[in-house]
Amino acid sequence: MLENFSFRTIVEYLPLFGQGLFTTVWLSALSFVGALAVGIVLCAMNLQRGFLFRAPAKAYIDAVRATPLLAQLYFLYFGLPRLGFVLPELVVGILALSLNSGAYVAEIIRAGILSIPRGQVEASVASGMTYVQRMRLVILPQAFKVTIPPLLGQAIVLVKDSALLSLISVAELTRAGQLLASDRFMPAEGFLTIAAFYLLLYYCLKGLAALSGRWLGTAGART
Amino acid sequence: MTKTGMIDFRGVNKWFGALNVLKDITLSVEPREVVVVCGPSGSGKSTLIRCINGLETIKDGDLIVDGQRLGDPATNMTQLRTEIGFVFQSFNLYPHKTALENVTLAPIHVRKIPRTEAEHAGRELLAKVGLADKVNAYPAQLSGGQQQRVAIARCLGMRPKIMLFDEPTSALDPEMISEVLDVMVAVAEEGMTMMVVTHEMGFARKVARRVVFMDAGAIVESGTPDEFFSHPRTDRSRAFLSKILRH
Repeated sequence: MLENFSFRTIVEYLPLFGQGLFTTVWLSALSFVGALAVGIVLCAMNLQRGFLFRAPAKAYIDAVRATPLLAQLYFLYFGLPRLGFVLPELVVGILALSLNSGAYVAEIIRAGILSIPRGQVEASVASGMTYVQRMRLVILPQAFKVTIPPLLGQAIVLVKDSALLSLISVAELTRAGQLLASDRFMPAEGFLTIAAFYLLLYYCLKGLAALSGRWLGTAGART
Repeated sequence: MTKTGMIDFRGVNKWFGALNVLKDITLSVEPREVVVVCGPSGSGKSTLIRCINGLETIKDGDLIVDGQRLGDPATNMTQLRTEIGFVFQSFNLYPHKTALENVTLAPIHVRKIPRTEAEHAGRELLAKVGLADKVNAYPAQLSGGQQQRVAIARCLGMRPKIMLFDEPTSALDPEMISEVLDVMVAVAEEGMTMMVVTHEMGFARKVARRVVFMDAGAIVESGTPDEFFSHPRTDRSRAFLSKILRH
């Protein structure tokens, strides 16, 4: 069995895997920045009292969470051109990941803000702070700490989700595995290798989460 | 029209759903007066003082604070709140800020006092409440009594006209109560207008001009501390006092 497993071919294809890995990393990073932006806007809308802002945000979050990422990706890739928006596949991919992950990020940030005890809001209200001052000086700095670990968890999910972009022929890591599988008919080698690279990325992000936990744990612990 | 006090409740009512939590409250607190509010749990005492800075809103009646009517469109509530310090039972210090930052945050950002000036005043206030050595400590590093003293200094940093205390010693271990009460006595003796929800009779006897006894949302009895504690006039206040005095 194992004698059929060709390490040599893997080594031969390493430059391709390297390129794929690099693409996965940068497009995931870019998508995560996009997701943060989308998430912050959605969350701000969701926290307003007015129905006018809250309803669209809630509808968007529900729509994204209720439907498969693949369906969303295909809608953007095949559907948008029919509506007159033709975008390169890389842009579509980053857009899809940002819009999708953004919905989850919005909920993570909202949970972080709502986890701040009511007394913090009351104390800042009582001292005469405006809504913006309260958010900026009291609530968000505390919510920030609570949200970092789940946000890094979402980043891990995003990296894995980026594998779907191989289906719209973005040359990322999974695409490299597919190429090895189809060119040389070596699916075991191809997909095991990309799995190992995803595992590597996972450990990097997990290490970052642990580091940030230690860094955030030092100053001003909760009473 | 009668002379208005610093805090003037005129026929104030408030409901939580069907529950009438404040019943036709009429009460006037004059400048520099110290009023202690007591009564059984759920009697509406906290709600009463939380209405004064708008943490709770009233349904009907008038509530006039420092000459401004609450709920009036002309009243800038954010501005009015800067004149009213509020001390919570659970301190509610900002956990991500040091003691000094807790004291200077609102003066710098709300009062727009220059940072160096605010910090200088903050250090003096922390020294005044006996915490000169805890300037750079975070709330989690302080005892309950120390946290509450920082919370009082935080209010004083705004140079308020009125200070409200919502059961400031109820969450404290017994040996820390007096250190907080001492600070409150000092504030009272400087002529601060104060309303204090507390069952600490020693404090009431020392500085309060009046004790107001509430039950089931209404003011049942009001008098000087001596009158109230030695000769309560109603059955309800006698029953209440017998319970808090027994131990």
